[in-house]
Amino acid sequence: MSAAIELTGITKRFPGVIANDNVNLTVEKGEIHAICGENGAGKSTLMKILYGLQPPDEGTMKVNGEEVRFSTPNDAIDRGIGMVHQHFMLADQLTVLENIILGAEPAGPGGVIKFKEAEAHLATVAADYGLTIDANDLIETLEVGERQRVEIIKVLYRGADILILDEPTAVLVPQEVEALFENMRDLKAAGATILFIDHKLEEVLEISDSITVLRHGKTVASMPNEGVTAHDLAELMVGSELPTPATEESTVTTEVALAVRGVTVADDDGRPAIEDVNLTIHKGEILGIAGVEGNGQAELVDALIGTASVSAGEISLLGEDITKLSVRRRREGGIGHIPEDRHHEGLLLEAPLWENAALGHQTQAPYGSRWLINRPGARQQTEAIKAEFDVRTPNIDVSAHALSGGNQQKLIVGRELTANPTLLVAAHPTRGVDVGAQAAIWEQIRDARANGLATLLISADLDELIGLSDRIVVMFRGKLVATVDPDTVTPRDLGAYMTGAASQNSDEGAAQNSDEGAAKNSGGPS
Amino acid sequence: MNALRELPAWIRWPLYAFIGIFLLTVVQSISDTERLTQVATSRQMLRFAVPIFLAGLGGLFSERSGVVNIGLEGMLILGMWFGAWGSIEFGPWWGLLIGMIGGGIGGLLHAIATVTFGVDHIISGVAINILAPAFTRFLSDEVWASPTTSPQTQSVGTWDVPFLAGGTVFGWESPDWLLSISQLEVWFLSDTAQLARGLLRGTHWVSYLVIVLVPATSWLIWRTRFGLRLRIAGENPQAGAAQGINILRYKYVAVIMSGVLAGLGGAFISTELSGLFQGGNSAGRGFIGLAALIFGNWRPGGVLIGALLFGYVFGLDLRDLDGTSSHAMLLVNTIALAGVAVWALKGKRRSDAVMAVILGSLSFIWWLSTETVPSWWSDVLPFVLVLLVLVFFSQRLRAPEKLGAPYFKGSS
Repeated sequence: MSAAIELTGITKRFPGVIANDNVNLTVEKGEIHAICGENGAGKSTLMKILYGLQPPDEGTMKVNGEEVRFSTPNDAIDRGIGMVHQHFMLADQLTVLENIILGAEPAGPGGVIKFKEAEAHLATVAADYGLTIDANDLIETLEVGERQRVEIIKVLYRGADILILDEPTAVLVPQEVEALFENMRDLKAAGATILFIDHKLEEVLEISDSITVLRHGKTVASMPNEGVTAHDLAELMVGSELPTPATEESTVTTEVALAVRGVTVADDDGRPAIEDVNLTIHKGEILGIAGVEGNGQAELVDALIGTASVSAGEISLLGEDITKLSVRRRREGGIGHIPEDRHHEGLLLEAPLWENAALGHQTQAPYGSRWLINRPGARQQTEAIKAEFDVRTPNIDVSAHALSGGNQQKLIVGRELTANPTLLVAAHPTRGVDVGAQAAIWEQIRDARANGLATLLISADLDELIGLSDRIVVMFRGKLVATVDPDTVTPRDLGAYMTGAASQNSDEGAAQNSDEGAAKNSGGPS
Repeated sequence: MNALRELPAWIRWPLYAFIGIFLLTVVQSISDTERLTQVATSRQMLRFAVPIFLAGLGGLFSERSGVVNIGLEGMLILGMWFGAWGSIEFGPWWGLLIGMIGGGIGGLLHAIATVTFGVDHIISGVAINILAPAFTRFLSDEVWASPTTSPQTQSVGTWDVPFLAGGTVFGWESPDWLLSISQLEVWFLSDTAQLARGLLRGTHWVSYLVIVLVPATSWLIWRTRFGLRLRIAGENPQAGAAQGINILRYKYVAVIMSGVLAGLGGAFISTELSGLFQGGNSAGRGFIGLAALIFGNWRPGGVLIGALLFGYVFGLDLRDLDGTSSHAMLLVNTIALAGVAVWALKGKRRSDAVMAVILGSLSFIWWLSTETVPSWWSDVLPFVLVLLVLVFFSQRLRAPEKLGAPYFKGSS
């Protein structure tokens, strides 16, 4: 019997990156096959290729033994492949039935939808696969888990028997994950083949029959789920070679710059996105936050810079409670921020550089006063940033989008650092910039650290995290689960903490640990 | 309110009408006016309401597909001119058809700007509203050698319903039952008969069509494949596109239909009501149509109720030369606001209740302390009504999820 899916030598290049590099994947009929890997390992690209959203540059695809070439998702659907997106594709105001039949409506003359027929077909499909759903509920009344079930049924309704689930558990609470796994087992029993992406190792080990691990766009392992441990997987995902951290003299002092006590931030649905987080950063210290993206890092940043309100806990800067201060007051009080997405949060792309340099400091000298912008002052300061941070631009009147990513980022870093902040919140400060700019930005951050800057560093780049940080805490599902020393951490441990395969201590412990760690590093009394 | 909503439509609609007429009758019996329930009042209401409804229904198609259409006023004006021109050149029915095409061209323009080029919906709509009066003025000057008015147009005409309102059947004049009832002068019953007679005697053919459009649109939107896909374009276009639906096509069709309906409303104004094209005769009814759409919660029946409500206030204003009827309307306002206050209290929305009580009290004090109201009050009343409705009902209103959001093919 031929395999349900057989991918051979799939390669996909994007400008400057190889997303998939000679990837091989074989999925047998009727199995649950997990694909794991870190963010950016190429999982999503591979699934998009398989679902016809993007064509591969090289390689062959076989579905049920036949070679195929998809140019649109409809081609994939015709071959029985259906995809359940991580972000649901459902309209809240439509009923379950309407959402499911959309695009495949059984209709009579005049385009009148045969709702009865559709409902009967839906009932048959649901019964075949052991899924229950009320066809006439509005989507907006459903829980997240139920919505996901609607997405799965939508795919089955069209006759798909190979399902791709893109990080299906990312949006679910543990009980819902259990229900999903129950459904997945039923689907498998009914003959469906399931391919699912996940990076939570205990989940992968619980549900899958086989596992394929991707790293840096390559297949690093493909094996049946027998005798595999979470630690093995973590090591495969993160890779065993880690860079030697830059050995620099510690500049950590005993003076606390930022103290976060028991902070909880609720997401849009009211669930805690981060829960009871405790952190201390001292002057001259860089605290790295490790974690798979989406585990609460963004919410932590929002809480610190003031764009999200905290539902519990206290944040203080140099001993002063700033929990209720506005973003502007916090910036004036000495918080700098290098945002995760420079185009959305860091720059006004259509505005000239000197205006961009004044952003967030427009009320302070030399950029301006409370009511007025000081043009000469702002321009002078921008020239200074341009010179000191090596922003390569013909002049400071060009608009920001004319600059390369690296120079845009240097402008942002310069803007934040020239204001002499007490605390710098740096989210992925070198993401998507070239090597030269990266080295320059690292150097600037190190220099500022030597002058007493406290930095919270969030990065998906482990080299960067380990190289720069004085201390690393690991965030998982909105909590700090471990504190590690970058000088001694093994990739195995870090990977295990990041993916939840291991946890060190409770977050209160992590906080305690952090204080001890700081004291130890600085050599001062605790 | 919820209990009301669960009633079947054939009970619910007469019930709404009953409540409305009852309120008017009660107020009238303690006021110095008789206009609130006269035949001519409901006739005027209908004359105003039909273009408002058609514009609102046009807006419904456009906005259900996710495109904000503030250009309805401009499309209505295009319909007015082309309707008049078509009627003069080819005859009355052709006038309506050509008016629809004229409005449809406005819709097409809006669709090209918003759907294909991603222009902000409001900006494109405002541009059409500025363009349409200027363009029709130019055309009038070219065609009729007068920038402001056209020659007399031909009208499709009116029809009296037999038996109920004394229409003729094959040349035989049937009895006029509603007239007989209104002449009985029985409290409430005769008032109802008068208002009903205004809707059924001397009524334009187009107005009857409007009644058919309500269930027809509902059916189209909720029962057909076209309707489902139209709604997904406004609710979650990415989800639709993921199922292989050509979202752009549905948006185009919807926005053009929107112009066609507004154009019919415009043609109705010029050929049936005014008997000529005259700049400014639209009287902002395209905008009011948009308000009726919001009032009606993006549903055909709701748009009709909104159009009738606004049409009533406009129609009353037109006939209220001494200000006594608008004075009586203050009391209607008071009672309506009291109702809103009770309803808000039940829903535990205290700030709404407090506001309704304050506004209701002001309205009541005004009513008590004066005999008539200045004429400007009745001019602004429809707009005040729109604002009040939006203030108190906005939490219950539900616009299409992605209304006004730009959508490009392949975006997510």
